[in-house]
Amino acid sequence: MHTSSGSSSSERASAQRPPPMRPALLLTLVSVLVASCLALAAPSAARSQPATPDLILATTTSTQDSGLLDVVVPQFEGQSGYRVKTIAVGTGQVLRLGERGEADVLLVHAPEEERTWMANGHGTDRRLVMHNDFVVIGPGNDPAVVQAADSAADAMTRIALSGAPFVSRGDNSGTNILEKKLWAQAGIDPVGQSWYQEVGHGMGATLTIANDKQAYTLTDRGTLLTRENIDLGVLAESFPSFLNVYSVMVVNPEKGSQINVEGARAFADFIVAPETQAAIGTYGVERFGQPLFVPDAGRTEAELGIS
Amino acid sequence: MDLILDGLIRALTLLARGDPELLRVSWLSLQVSGTATLLCLLVGMPLGTILALARFPGRSIVLALVNTGMGLPPVVVGLVVSIMLWRTGPLGQLRLLYTPTAMVIAQFALALPIVVGLTVAAIQQLHPKLRLQIVALGASRVQLIWLLLREARLPLFAATMAGFGAVISEVGASIMVGGNITGQTRVLTTATILEVSKGEFASAMAFSLVLLALVYGVNAGLTWMQQRNRPL
Amino acid sequence: MSEARALGSTIVGGSELLARSNAASLAEPLVEVRGLLVRRGKHIVLDVPHLMIRAGEILTVIGPNGAGKSTLASALALLERPAAGEIVLGDTTIEWKRGLLAMRRRVAMVFQEPLLLDMTVADNVATGLRLRGVPRLERESRVAEWLGRLGIAHLASRSSRALSGGEAQRTSLARALVLEPDLLVLDEPFSALDPPTREALAVDLVPLLRERRTTTVLVTHDRDEAFGIGDRVAIILDGRIAQLDTPEAVLARPATDAIARFVRPRLRYCAPDVGT
Repeated sequence: MHTSSGSSSSERASAQRPPPMRPALLLTLVSVLVASCLALAAPSAARSQPATPDLILATTTSTQDSGLLDVVVPQFEGQSGYRVKTIAVGTGQVLRLGERGEADVLLVHAPEEERTWMANGHGTDRRLVMHNDFVVIGPGNDPAVVQAADSAADAMTRIALSGAPFVSRGDNSGTNILEKKLWAQAGIDPVGQSWYQEVGHGMGATLTIANDKQAYTLTDRGTLLTRENIDLGVLAESFPSFLNVYSVMVVNPEKGSQINVEGARAFADFIVAPETQAAIGTYGVERFGQPLFVPDAGRTEAELGIS
Repeated sequence: MDLILDGLIRALTLLARGDPELLRVSWLSLQVSGTATLLCLLVGMPLGTILALARFPGRSIVLALVNTGMGLPPVVVGLVVSIMLWRTGPLGQLRLLYTPTAMVIAQFALALPIVVGLTVAAIQQLHPKLRLQIVALGASRVQLIWLLLREARLPLFAATMAGFGAVISEVGASIMVGGNITGQTRVLTTATILEVSKGEFASAMAFSLVLLALVYGVNAGLTWMQQRNRPL
Repeated sequence: MSEARALGSTIVGGSELLARSNAASLAEPLVEVRGLLVRRGKHIVLDVPHLMIRAGEILTVIGPNGAGKSTLASALALLERPAAGEIVLGDTTIEWKRGLLAMRRRVAMVFQEPLLLDMTVADNVATGLRLRGVPRLERESRVAEWLGRLGIAHLASRSSRALSGGEAQRTSLARALVLEPDLLVLDEPFSALDPPTREALAVDLVPLLRERRTTTVLVTHDRDEAFGIGDRVAIILDGRIAQLDTPEAVLARPATDAIARFVRPRLRYCAPDVGT
């Protein structure tokens, strides 16, 4: 009976090898990517490892944009061994994240909302950290004569009456919330009016847009200082309502089992510590000629004129 | 226009002095998107082949879903993956939120329908009897899939480039699940968005140009591989 | 001299006829089919209660379109699971589960279209060997051997996309023959070629099959091929094997009118014992 000689040798190799296509190249590519994938997953070693090294700090975009955290957070990490994940989102989202226990410590600047938040039991500790102030800026020729205003509300009224363009962040950020309060104080509802434009952007981009349109806008002094080429002048400043007060809040550990309470407290302690406060007080002097923030740890809100 | 020129100059300056931040975000972009794309190929191409060849009830619905998935908005994917990875979410215990791994997961979810859908089309384009002939030559199931994929490699390379292009250029998902944290989860796209929101358009343009150059580089390589040995 | 012989001489030479009668005398069965039933939906398209293929023989299968020729070919190549029935290859009964791959690798099939892969001719021919894990050196020598036998050695590094119909089909044949299968199934391998190419290919192929004693099933709709090449011919009508016998026998004594009409319309007018 005829048996083909080929079948025995082919049966022998029961390992079924698929036809290779440039195996060397493919293999190199795969191993490089696998290696980098593993590198991604590997946790980085911190100096003295606390029990739970990862800490989620939720803060606002304008705080992030000021650059202060780029100085302060690495200092904290170096001292404490915590690895801070700074999430910069809008004020509303910061508070919501805290409520859900998705963040461990919050750094925000919306005192009324913060008080409500604390009253609702979402946090265990709230401390004043620093403040900066808002200013109204506008075109050099000042068509609304904002310069002559005698209060924050007066400044807003003048803009509304003149019908000059005003750019609003419109994103429920701390800045936006303050702006809305000021309109309310002045008894004006700007929404829907032709001169009032909500752009839904961060402060820096909003400034650029306002600059483009040569429009009025409300900004924190810090962001204004960090931006070059803004051809708008400060027309109203230093009114009490313009104060932008930052507080640090520790999230209530009952919100979830993963909340890093030790880390949150450590960060809160750190940011109100005298050394850090001194650093905050001098931040910006080198680059902009004046500090961006005024350290406030230990003071009460009443002292600052807000409550 | 001068903004683009400014951006170009800035990009070249940063590259020339080997700016660590630029290099770091560029490398992370490549790692995250490269890994996500690779996983998509490993999972999506065999899956697409099986989907192309198999017959089962509901197949047309599955295909329609896959094809719909090709157009998933990145921010939607980001939102869904975030919800899963939140501490309060089903996968919260893994502590993956705000890590590059989370970004890989989100980008994998984003690119998978693209790779699967294009693979199905590529395989269906082959001669209907080719599968039979390969089986007749004594191929196992795995070998069959491999040979069919190899046979369809031209459109499959295109699928790879489409998948990679989709994820390396997306920002919505990366920002949501990654958090755009300096030194940890910032990639070229999220860095660009940050610079835009700060109003630093020249920097934003610089990052964008580097991103484009990167994508071009990768695709040039893939295109070369695709077009190799095709003297006809 | 019978009609069949006259037919046969247009395709093959005299020594071929001698070889055929030798093959017919090898009585050992290689493939046995029992109770084979293939369905398409509810319709039975193939019903073969019994079929035996002898080792080393060339069995040609002929029938009108849709009669079930290709279905039989697929079934024998173990590409399609029948609704019922058994196929025995050598001394092993085919089981449609684990171990099927090993069985399948003993059979090779060539289709009407060459169905080559997008690679060089040599790589195409090597495909089956690669799938079986045959080491490179052995693979390369076997490929070279069969490229030569089929007259396409000069095309070894040619891309499969740049071949003529005949060259492509030779490649497909080489790809199957290099595996030295226990059973070779050819499903209308020449149908897509023009007559001169077809003839040239058949002239090259058949002696090779004879020499290696490759058990072959050749499905065709061409009467010259069926009766000229086959040691035995199977006439398929309506999913059944209507007659299975040597070409001479079928031509001389068609079992039914239908067969008679099918195989050689003129034959009806010849007396059965017409001689030289």
